[in-house]
Amino acid sequence: MTFNQPTIDYAGLSPLIALVATLCVVIIASIIPRVGRFSVALLTLIGFATTAGLTIWQWGASENLVSNALRIDDIGSMAILIALLAAAGTVLLSLREPAAYTAGHGAYYALLIGSVMGMVVLAQSINLISFFVGLELLSIPLYVLCGAAVRRKESLESGLKYLIVGSLGSATLLYGFALIYGATGSTNFGVIAEELTSAQLASDTLVLAGVAMAVVGIAFKLSLAPFHQWAPDVYEGAPTPITAFMAVATKAVVFVAFARLLEQGLGELSGIWSDALAVLAVISIVIGNVGAIGQRSIKRLLGYSGIAQGGYILVGLVVVSTEGAGAMIFYLAVYALANLAVFAPLVARERESGFGDDVNGIAGIGRTRPWLAWPMTIGVLSMIGLPGTAGFIGKLFLIQAAVDGDYTWLAVVVVIGTVVSLGYYLRLLSAIWMEPQPDAPNTQSPMPVIAGGAPEADASAGGREEVPPGSSRCVLVVGTGVICAAATVLLGIYPEQLIQWATEAGEAITRAVGL
Amino acid sequence: MDAVTFAWLVLAFPLAGSILISLSFKLLPRRAAGYIGTAAIAIAFGFAVAALIGLLSHPVEERSLNGALYDYAAVAGIDVELSILVDPLSVFMCLIVTGVSTLIHLYSLAYMTSDRGYNRFFAYLNFFVFSMLLLILAGNLVLLIVGWAFVGFASYALISFWYRRTTATAAGMKAFVINVVGDIGLVLAAFLILREIGVLDLTEIFEKAPEDLSVNSGVAVAIGLLLLVGAFAKSAQIPLHTWLADAMEGPTPVSALIHAATMVTAGVYLIARFWPIFELAPTAADIAAFTGLATLLFAGTVALVVTDLKRVIAYSTISQIGYMVVGVSIGAYTAGLFHLMTHAFFKALLFMAAGSVIAAMAAVQDLDKMGGFRKALRFTGPMLVIGALALAAFPGTSGFFSKDEILVFAEARGGMYMIFAIGGYIGALMTAVYSFRIVYRVLSGPPCKEAAELEQGHLAHGEPVNPKTGETEDTDVGFPGSEHWIAERARPMRVAMSILAFLALFAGLVQVPGVTHVIDSFLEPVFAESKLAEDYHPTVAAEWRGLAIGAVISILGILLARYLWVTNPALPARLAKRFRRIHDFCANAWYFDKLIDVLVVRPVQAFGDKIADSFVENKVIGTFAAIATGTVRGAGAAVRISQSGYLRAYAMVLLLGLIGLGIYFLIAGGGA
Repeated sequence: MTFNQPTIDYAGLSPLIALVATLCVVIIASIIPRVGRFSVALLTLIGFATTAGLTIWQWGASENLVSNALRIDDIGSMAILIALLAAAGTVLLSLREPAAYTAGHGAYYALLIGSVMGMVVLAQSINLISFFVGLELLSIPLYVLCGAAVRRKESLESGLKYLIVGSLGSATLLYGFALIYGATGSTNFGVIAEELTSAQLASDTLVLAGVAMAVVGIAFKLSLAPFHQWAPDVYEGAPTPITAFMAVATKAVVFVAFARLLEQGLGELSGIWSDALAVLAVISIVIGNVGAIGQRSIKRLLGYSGIAQGGYILVGLVVVSTEGAGAMIFYLAVYALANLAVFAPLVARERESGFGDDVNGIAGIGRTRPWLAWPMTIGVLSMIGLPGTAGFIGKLFLIQAAVDGDYTWLAVVVVIGTVVSLGYYLRLLSAIWMEPQPDAPNTQSPMPVIAGGAPEADASAGGREEVPPGSSRCVLVVGTGVICAAATVLLGIYPEQLIQWATEAGEAITRAVGL
Repeated sequence: MDAVTFAWLVLAFPLAGSILISLSFKLLPRRAAGYIGTAAIAIAFGFAVAALIGLLSHPVEERSLNGALYDYAAVAGIDVELSILVDPLSVFMCLIVTGVSTLIHLYSLAYMTSDRGYNRFFAYLNFFVFSMLLLILAGNLVLLIVGWAFVGFASYALISFWYRRTTATAAGMKAFVINVVGDIGLVLAAFLILREIGVLDLTEIFEKAPEDLSVNSGVAVAIGLLLLVGAFAKSAQIPLHTWLADAMEGPTPVSALIHAATMVTAGVYLIARFWPIFELAPTAADIAAFTGLATLLFAGTVALVVTDLKRVIAYSTISQIGYMVVGVSIGAYTAGLFHLMTHAFFKALLFMAAGSVIAAMAAVQDLDKMGGFRKALRFTGPMLVIGALALAAFPGTSGFFSKDEILVFAEARGGMYMIFAIGGYIGALMTAVYSFRIVYRVLSGPPCKEAAELEQGHLAHGEPVNPKTGETEDTDVGFPGSEHWIAERARPMRVAMSILAFLALFAGLVQVPGVTHVIDSFLEPVFAESKLAEDYHPTVAAEWRGLAIGAVISILGILLARYLWVTNPALPARLAKRFRRIHDFCANAWYFDKLIDVLVVRPVQAFGDKIADSFVENKVIGTFAAIATGTVRGAGAAVRISQSGYLRAYAMVLLLGLIGLGIYFLIAGGGA
């Protein structure tokens, strides 16, 4: 047996290599005693920036890497960039996050970097194996991060729930992959696509069952209804910066990977899966929008609204066209900005108001904290899709793609969903601008004991620093929100460049991946 | 740099000024807002001049430049570019708007000193100038409508500027509602144009219009009439004129800028800009011309009798815009636009002088209470006279040349259009009378209390009362400040007024029949293909004859005014008593407000009242609403209940979903 050493394209792999290097540096730096949390965060940010730079450097490339396990092309790069944006935002929001203190900053950021590494792999994978490895690499650090605020019961519950339910989803996905491999004899998307055509496997039971299970598994990760139920619980319990990260980065990357699997691997079956996805989209839009009404917890509300937004984004996949893929990636980008613009003020208010993520926490901040109120307002308006914000253009393209792809009825559902969504989005705005600021409640102790731990253990909790007082007025948190809100408005007025990038990315997906 | 680049910069500075002032009001000293605002507009004026120079460097037939910044959206066959059209017409308008605005900003710098909304005022004012420029420079209908609507909003914000006054907020709402009526007309016109011609870009519309629209076809006339609805609402022509007189509730610089010099001429600009459409729809153009004539005569009679100083000038504005509308509707495009320019100068001057007088009267605006300011206002007085002379078209002043050019064109076109010449001369007589009515009532006669005090050096400071209702005012924010500023005591006001006075006197000399034709030859490329402008050329002799008639009428009118208010001051009151009914009819502006109230407001209100309490509303619509909200609420509750928090339940749902999806895939795939 001869072993052929695969040719390794180091340029193509450079984003991944940069992340691995960052991970090592951050872990090492965090155990050096005199390196503070700012330095660790700064190192992480530098690593992300380097990765982003390398990804942009590779823009326009279209080739397979590592024996056809990964593929570098524009849609993958776009997803990676969105993920990096979200990750960088998360780092800025996490600087004074209690969870980062309890977990230790080095571990916290290292986990984050690990998750981003998984995202890079996933966004580029054109192989069932690398797909699954990427997805797990992405998910496992997130399970831990969700439970990182060990002093909060809700955080622990969230982490555990995410772990168990996530494993269920992964298992389903893996079963599906196994069936597809069993039927086609390959794990490579290109070979699978060819086998499906040449061997007339389109109505093969094994393939169909496999695809159904794979769709369920991925829909699960995307929290598309009816596989969404973990999302509100996990979103609410997780530390808020991590919630933001999950809402934005995971969604962008998994959607792109989903598009790859379906269009580059299972394109032959598009007649079957597109209708199934259309139904999932409708259910997600209905359940997400309806469920968000009447929520008092903003994180929970955003969890439901994320389900509905996932339904809108799915429309881009349903229509199976370059236009649809472009619309999807455009929407993912503007959705990321809008979410960060909403989450940053939320993080700030959570720390200073004493209301947690309750709606009361943002009531009346229009008067007292305009620098928090405006980004949140703009982010919410963009999620609604108001003209002048990037969300409007995003929805416009999705609806146009739906109409052009003969899914006009789905476009109508999107519009109706948007109308219903006003019911809860406007409630946030009215709380911000029209309600008086309520008196702060008598909060329980700001730093609860480790659940189940003895008070002594708590006192000697590894000698870690306590959250310094006055931590609420963090310029970086406010700045993150302001920048993302400004970008949202800018892209709403001048969307041309992003449209072009999204179109290039959309074209990349329809190219056959080769063997 | 190119003319287009300069035009973009013209747009950019007022916008930047507005944003800067609104964001920095807590950081910068109060006075900075005024300087920033004035500087922004002055720079915009500089760039407008640069754009003019850039445009002149192009050969005459290539003076229509399109500049697209980027494509905003291209959806369903509609291509909306953020594009501007730079041609002689838009540059001409830009020059007027930025030039006059600069002076009015300068004036406001002093005039608004004591107002606590100083920053807000300049932010609004800059925003207004930006909107107006956007309207003028817009290269396609979408952008034009955006500018059009922004202008309407800016006007609303500025009329209601003193928001403690209920009369001011009511006037603002009235203006806004009527402006929205016009917006609807314009939007519908845009829809029709898109349907018939298929494009929204202005240049393309005009190129394709002759092919797609046959002359005087129903559609062409409909487009023309809908455009007119927009134009009439902005330009205060019958029957959409009622808001302009009420708009005088705003600060006087606002009246000068928006409600005399710039915004209200937007309709005139629109008709001139869309001349290819109107030449394809002569019926619509004729309707426009007759409306203009009716408006100019109507407003003239009202201006003769109302006693509120600002309202007199407001009605004179309505009347003068009537002349312009007549001009651009009968084909005298350059003449109409020339009048637009001179009117901007002298009417802004008149308002500024009026503002100074009102300040001297401690915010009293009633002509009946004024008099004898001749000695007290050594500077404002002559300015008022110069403005009135130009308005009355006294020989040699700017208004003299511009007004007569319109009327002579009507005469040259002949036939039915003679009516416009005759009506115009009758209007001119009224104009001369009422403009000097202002002068004599304010300046001559025995000094009133305020004038006498001012001669002693004391500026009157009365109790803050609403000039319209006489109620005492709330003196918090949103009320005109307690101090008053007259031109004699504020250099910026004097500078602004002097420049305008110079222009009001001499700007007409750029267009003396047979001698100079600056405006004509500059605007000529825009109207080069117009049949009307080509077919009818008044001879130089006819023009001078017209000027002679105009001169006689003007002097006659001024003498009549002198007879009525100086020689025989008791006579007007006697006449008013004698012809009580006619007087009341005119003083109440021909009861148009009542008419609209009876015809529109009350029926709508009655309908609303009735329907609000009817079976349809309570049962049918109410039930629908209840079902809709009930369904959503119920579904929301169902979703929340299903969210039990138990993992086993979630796993169950996952399993059910998987089974459902699996069955679907197997069935759908098996059937394929």
